[in-house]
Amino acid sequence: MRRTLAASLVIITIASCAPTRFVKPLAKKQQAVNLSLGGALIKYSKLTIPMPFVTATYGYGIDSTLTGFGSLNLTSLLAGNAQVELGLTKQLLHQKGVWPGFSITPVANIIYRNKDASKLYPQVDINAFWEYNHKRNFFYLGVSNWFELAGKRAHDQQQEHRWIFSPMIGETFVRKKWDYNIELKIIAPNIANNSNVVGYKTPFGTHGAFGIYLGCTRKF
Amino acid sequence: MKTQYHLHLSIVAIASCLSGCLRLDDNLFNANSNKIEKYELNNYKGEVDFTLDASYTIPSTLVNLFTINSKAVDETMGTKIYAVYIGDTTRIATDTVIMYCHGNKDHMDFYWPRAQLLANTSSKNRYGVLMLDYRGYGLSEGKPSESGLAVDVDAGLQWLKAKGLSGERLIMYGFSMGSIPATRLTAEPRSLKPSRLILEAPIASAEAMVQDASALALPGSFFTDLKTDNAALIKGVKQPFMWIHGTEDDFLNVRTQGEVVYKNYGGSPGNKEPHLIPGAGHSNVPVYFTFPKYLQAVGTFMRK
Repeated sequence: MRRTLAASLVIITIASCAPTRFVKPLAKKQQAVNLSLGGALIKYSKLTIPMPFVTATYGYGIDSTLTGFGSLNLTSLLAGNAQVELGLTKQLLHQKGVWPGFSITPVANIIYRNKDASKLYPQVDINAFWEYNHKRNFFYLGVSNWFELAGKRAHDQQQEHRWIFSPMIGETFVRKKWDYNIELKIIAPNIANNSNVVGYKTPFGTHGAFGIYLGCTRKF
Repeated sequence: MKTQYHLHLSIVAIASCLSGCLRLDDNLFNANSNKIEKYELNNYKGEVDFTLDASYTIPSTLVNLFTINSKAVDETMGTKIYAVYIGDTTRIATDTVIMYCHGNKDHMDFYWPRAQLLANTSSKNRYGVLMLDYRGYGLSEGKPSESGLAVDVDAGLQWLKAKGLSGERLIMYGFSMGSIPATRLTAEPRSLKPSRLILEAPIASAEAMVQDASALALPGSFFTDLKTDNAALIKGVKQPFMWIHGTEDDFLNVRTQGEVVYKNYGGSPGNKEPHLIPGAGHSNVPVYFTFPKYLQAVGTFMRK
């Protein structure tokens, strides 16, 4: 029955189908629209490509250290699932010399198919970022954390993984009206990927998956 | 501008292609990744899970390839499917027969060594073996479907019944995806009621597969419309049950798939037997079991 179910890579990447939304908050009352593309690396025909998840995000600067946002996963929508994210990015520390700025982003991931199939996944992203080149760019390191609230899975089995973490590294090129972003993510490196129906394309062997994401943001 | 347009078009095209696959239903079926023009069986040189030495060879006089008309309730004409019976078709009325339900890949040529091996259970050609290509597999017509699996296997059982076989001498064997029709037709018999069930590397359910892949307790319906739930169906199986699974199965996890089916078995505990094969993966259980011990275990279970 072996088969690399390329499409089923969608499944695990549901927990990592987008880059971190806002690493650095927007200016007060600033608005932004972001489009991101990417996901875990998959083998597609003879090519290795990132899963083309497309998500659209709207963000609003509540104040200079707090940005609220909402996202819609357009690819999930094509599969018949409404997957939205509602979150806040709060800057906790400002950059001082070599010491990075820090931000925390709590997110509610809501996935709804019908009254019998819906899920809520809390997510918390924590990022350290360094601005450089007269604040025209910033580089960041962080970790994205998803939490499974259900203690049981199908057939009353114990849900083994309650916390899925994904370390990431990214670069944002800041321009006057547009920002451009690239992010690399190691998805769930603590979870074996060799004991289920999915074959992952990852340089990390038998654990996790490797994601690449591109994004562009229009600021208003 | 033109380059940018092409880039956008490419992204949209790839996204569209993959979004079309976002429901996993069609991915259950991996028919004909190695296409065939005709069935070769003993002479097949293509990819197989394992090969057998000459001592397991089936005489060509006992290899019977034929077609069956498999008709689902909602079909008016039925679908032509191919089947192979290993044994003497004139003795089906008095023989014990193994109905072998193959996995999701390719066709009967790919699974021929497995059927050939079973035809050597206890002694060469002591038992008959019927294997068929589900609709859309091999040269069988139609398109693979979840409901078609049981319809096609039952068409095979109707053929056996017409040759005089009774349910007491029918053993149902399902490997991997073949566990779907095997479990269904044992729990909810149609043409014949099998006397025993053997499952090798069975699926627990479509939802369990989704959850294995995601590591999350996601509803299966997020990704599939498949209704497969052997873990529930097996509760209705009272006939003796044998479960075989490789401990290192990297496709259908032994704990989250096979063990769930085994634990949910609806018959008396003394009627079920597990065979966990250390080191074996998904496709090589008989190899790690070793062929003689595998055949001995199957033969002993059949005679119990």
